[in-house]
Amino acid sequence: MRPLSYGDERHQAAHQFLVEEAALLDAGDYQGWLGLLADDIGYLMPVRVTTARGAGFDSLADMAHFDENLYSLRKRVQRLYTEHAWTEDPPSRTRHFVANVRTFATEGAELAVESGLLLFRSRGDTREADLVSAGRRDLLRPAGGGLLLARREITVDESVLRTQNLAVFL
Amino acid sequence: MTDLAGVIAEVRRGLVPAHIYNDAEVFALERDRLFSRAWVFVAHESEIPDPGDYVVRRVLADSFIVVRDEARAVRVLFNMCLHKGMAVCRAELGNASHFRCPYHAWTYRNDGRLAGLPFHADAYGGEDGFAREGQSLLPAPAMASYNGLIFVSLRPDPPALTEYLGNFAYYLDFYTRQSPAGVELRGPQRWRVKANWKIGAENFAGDSYHTPHTHASVVDIGLFREPKASKRKEGALYTAGPGSGTTYKLPPGGTFDEQLRYVGYPHELIAAMRATWSREQQELIAESGFMVSAATLFPNLSFVHNWPVVDAAGTVAPFISVRQWQPVSERETEVLSWFAVDAAAPDDFKRRSYQAYLMCFGSSGMFEQDDVENWVSITDMAGGSMARRLRLNSRMGLTSDDKPIKPPLAGFAGPGVAYQGFGEFNQRHWLAQWSDHLEQP
Repeated sequence: MRPLSYGDERHQAAHQFLVEEAALLDAGDYQGWLGLLADDIGYLMPVRVTTARGAGFDSLADMAHFDENLYSLRKRVQRLYTEHAWTEDPPSRTRHFVANVRTFATEGAELAVESGLLLFRSRGDTREADLVSAGRRDLLRPAGGGLLLARREITVDESVLRTQNLAVFL
Repeated sequence: MTDLAGVIAEVRRGLVPAHIYNDAEVFALERDRLFSRAWVFVAHESEIPDPGDYVVRRVLADSFIVVRDEARAVRVLFNMCLHKGMAVCRAELGNASHFRCPYHAWTYRNDGRLAGLPFHADAYGGEDGFAREGQSLLPAPAMASYNGLIFVSLRPDPPALTEYLGNFAYYLDFYTRQSPAGVELRGPQRWRVKANWKIGAENFAGDSYHTPHTHASVVDIGLFREPKASKRKEGALYTAGPGSGTTYKLPPGGTFDEQLRYVGYPHELIAAMRATWSREQQELIAESGFMVSAATLFPNLSFVHNWPVVDAAGTVAPFISVRQWQPVSERETEVLSWFAVDAAAPDDFKRRSYQAYLMCFGSSGMFEQDDVENWVSITDMAGGSMARRLRLNSRMGLTSDDKPIKPPLAGFAGPGVAYQGFGEFNQRHWLAQWSDHLEQP
């Protein structure tokens, strides 16, 4: 299937959605981020594995780093706003770089959007910074004149993560 | 040069020289004196159910293929070609009847035997120059399993695994044998943290004291079934054989079934547990009123069992995680974290339990996130010269003349020694075994 033209308004809206989302995450506005999620959100990040070329799979079907719904995402956000989420206090400095955005029309009103994500995460003053590189496949649903994230599947590009935890969203 | 005898003497007093958590010399000793001979976990049999299924796992720098051969026997094979030493398997899991070295195409059956090499007659003059018969990838010097947990030892003559596990096996069953079907392991999630491997092992062995503060946030958000984290002080800490662990005190007066329902098990699984666990094992839950939580089997395998709230309706679901603290260096550890669930449990329970696991532990788990922040920071602090002057007080639960501040818990059905309340008995128990290994040349 061919992506929508970059001049297509639907592509531009999807691209803008992802960039605005990244801005919320990098500002630590997780409450604002929750506002971008559909009630039936599925947020999945399978465990990636190293397999032979002919194996037919390169991620685990039954184990993920994230396999979330709105309840669990809300709890994760709620936790970050407590006074006791030590792993993010002091907070990480993050930058979500969104690139390679391709938008596809679907049979319904939703847009299927692929993007590349590079997360730079710096903790403390002297620690080596972490990089997490991933591809994302999203479903964006038109709602109330804007878009909501209805589904995200994150394909992380490492099988062994080199960041101390996923107290961050991708 | 580290004064090893001095370090060990202090460790045994419960005054731990801080630098052992980030010290290249200590790490070299751990490699040469501990991981060179201890029983070390590599995989669970449920990860390789069918002939040809394999996973590749490490014991420090040594890579092993853990594979089920065509006769369904589990083999643990050193992943290095006999000829020039390339890794014969470069995937981390899959299914294969043979492993072929990419360098010169020496090929091995999945039981390790050499099946062939190119130009045998031309290059070697046939069997005379190189006898193929009896050639095999090097097997792990010793291998054994318990409840499907596969362990290896790099020493060819270790004590029998069951003898090593001793009465910790009683506790292992709570995590790895809830029914005759046994558990299935999923994962692992793998990630690397800039922390010394000992810190996680000690924490899971017995640190109930960190829960009220480190994990205050999960109480704040109502994820924790137990309304107050300080409830941990009513729990018991036990040491048994090479393992030790923590428990929670259950509500008073409940039967076996009621207590397991309280932590969220469905009736099918409770019936299976009743039919599977011994009378003595059931008494720990019913009569003594304790439920197992975190535990560590020396040296680097840990377990956790907890029961959070997994949805807005307040549904409580228990989960089990098996995890390994795989040392990379004195200041880096690879965490391998599996979700474990009874293989015969109902599917909807498996789903709830999996959600509970993901929310609490593993790479994104809300408990684990804050744990690792602590461990990275300790390792960072332990690397400098001031850490060589600091003795970390690990004497909790002892008087100045080395007596327990209270007697062992009477009426604790499990084997070994148990104390109720906070204490660092288990961490000292773990460190005593560490000391035993390190002082043995």
